[in-house]
Amino acid sequence: MSPRSKGKNGRGKSDISSTGTASRNYGLPLPGINEEELGGSLIVIEGMDGSGRSTQIALLTEWLESEGFAVETMGLRRSGLVAKDIDALLAENTITKMTLTLMYATDFYDQLEHRIIPALRSDFVVLADRYFYTLIARAAARGIERDYLHGLYEMALRPDLTFWLNVRPEAAFEREFRKSHTISYWESGRDLSLSDDLFQSFIMYQAKIKKEFETLSERNGFLAMDGEASVAAVNTELRKRIAAHLGIQRTHYRPSAALASLWR
Amino acid sequence: MVEGIDGSGKSTQLYLLKRWLEIGGYRLHFTEWNSSPLVKSATKRGKQRRLLTPTTFSLLHAADFADRCERQILPLLHSGYLVLADRYIYTAFARDVARNCSPRWLRNLYRFAPVPDITFYFRAPLDVAVNRIMSGRPKLKHYEAGMDMNLSLDPAESFRIFQGRILAQYDEMIGADNFVVMDGTLPVNKLQKHMRQFVKTRIDLSRFAPKKAARRAR
Repeated sequence: MSPRSKGKNGRGKSDISSTGTASRNYGLPLPGINEEELGGSLIVIEGMDGSGRSTQIALLTEWLESEGFAVETMGLRRSGLVAKDIDALLAENTITKMTLTLMYATDFYDQLEHRIIPALRSDFVVLADRYFYTLIARAAARGIERDYLHGLYEMALRPDLTFWLNVRPEAAFEREFRKSHTISYWESGRDLSLSDDLFQSFIMYQAKIKKEFETLSERNGFLAMDGEASVAAVNTELRKRIAAHLGIQRTHYRPSAALASLWR
Repeated sequence: MVEGIDGSGKSTQLYLLKRWLEIGGYRLHFTEWNSSPLVKSATKRGKQRRLLTPTTFSLLHAADFADRCERQILPLLHSGYLVLADRYIYTAFARDVARNCSPRWLRNLYRFAPVPDITFYFRAPLDVAVNRIMSGRPKLKHYEAGMDMNLSLDPAESFRIFQGRILAQYDEMIGADNFVVMDGTLPVNKLQKHMRQFVKTRIDLSRFAPKKAARRAR
């Protein structure tokens, strides 16, 4: 159990850190992992579809790389082990909730062990496009006990910073619909039979998720951000917090031509 | 359901119990550990490429079990079936703890599983069990032999050490999880006699022979 401040690189950690506790896990270490070998930083961005997560991650990656930090990313359903299987299960639509919960947990731990931990060993900044908090919120909204879920993720690494891009479900719906002209079956919680109306179902489901997030936020000290502010405004706030955490002095940043279209 | 290390004779005994109940016309369902098509491709991929860690190995098996539990075991129990399981959650507890997973984490992981009415634990000495397996199956697979834990460079020796650890874990569960210990070195027919006798005294089998009873009732 190494205190955060004793990271391999000895980089000073400011008191902005959302955790404040000594251990990097939630109660249990992962078998075979020595936490003292881990340096780097784990920064999580949470928020529903349409909250601007992926835009912010693209911008933050460019900014951090321009500042000389090596960046690794992770997200849900991106493991080499089971991502394809989960895709197939979701498409099939006959999967039951406990099985889906455990497949997502497998996907999460596979990325943790094969992507995040090796990156932290090499002193990378890991940007997580969602973390297990979303998985807990979704499963809890489907009636799986919260205690059970927290136990499941007891061996996960505690992030150094967790940002929560908060948007009203109505605004998220509009953004998503404008982008893809449809709303995903799962993101609107259609499996819960909340309403026959797609919009209503989305709003009701996201309200449930938000409630779970409020509890999670209290428990884990999320940094809530106004996801409906402009991309530039959200990005400036994110950079300010991250710069303080990583000890970056200069926080000026303008996106390159490749990313300029995101800046609005 | 039955538990025990590889080569303890449990599958043979459960098969004979199943035949006895089938011939008697009872409503029953038989399920095996690790049999759901749902996670087969992932397990296969993980094993072939040796991607599995103790944690993901454990989680994939739990997902597989959850699928069987939610789609077969629970609905069948609710509709009045006798369910026979060749290995159950205790297999995960014994094997994954032998791989250094946390017992507390594992007990939580499988909290959704119904507690069995009877758990037969077939106990055979390590040498007997290992010899039974080695004589019939000369080539051991990577994870089966516990080669992922670097116990030994020799697969046969690694398998032996791994099975020894699993056996010790099973033994620890005997009291707390109400195992009915069966001596795996006894003759097959003698063991089967004990098993059938025990099932008859513990379970009211008439509940599972509804066809004749229902007709008579009408």
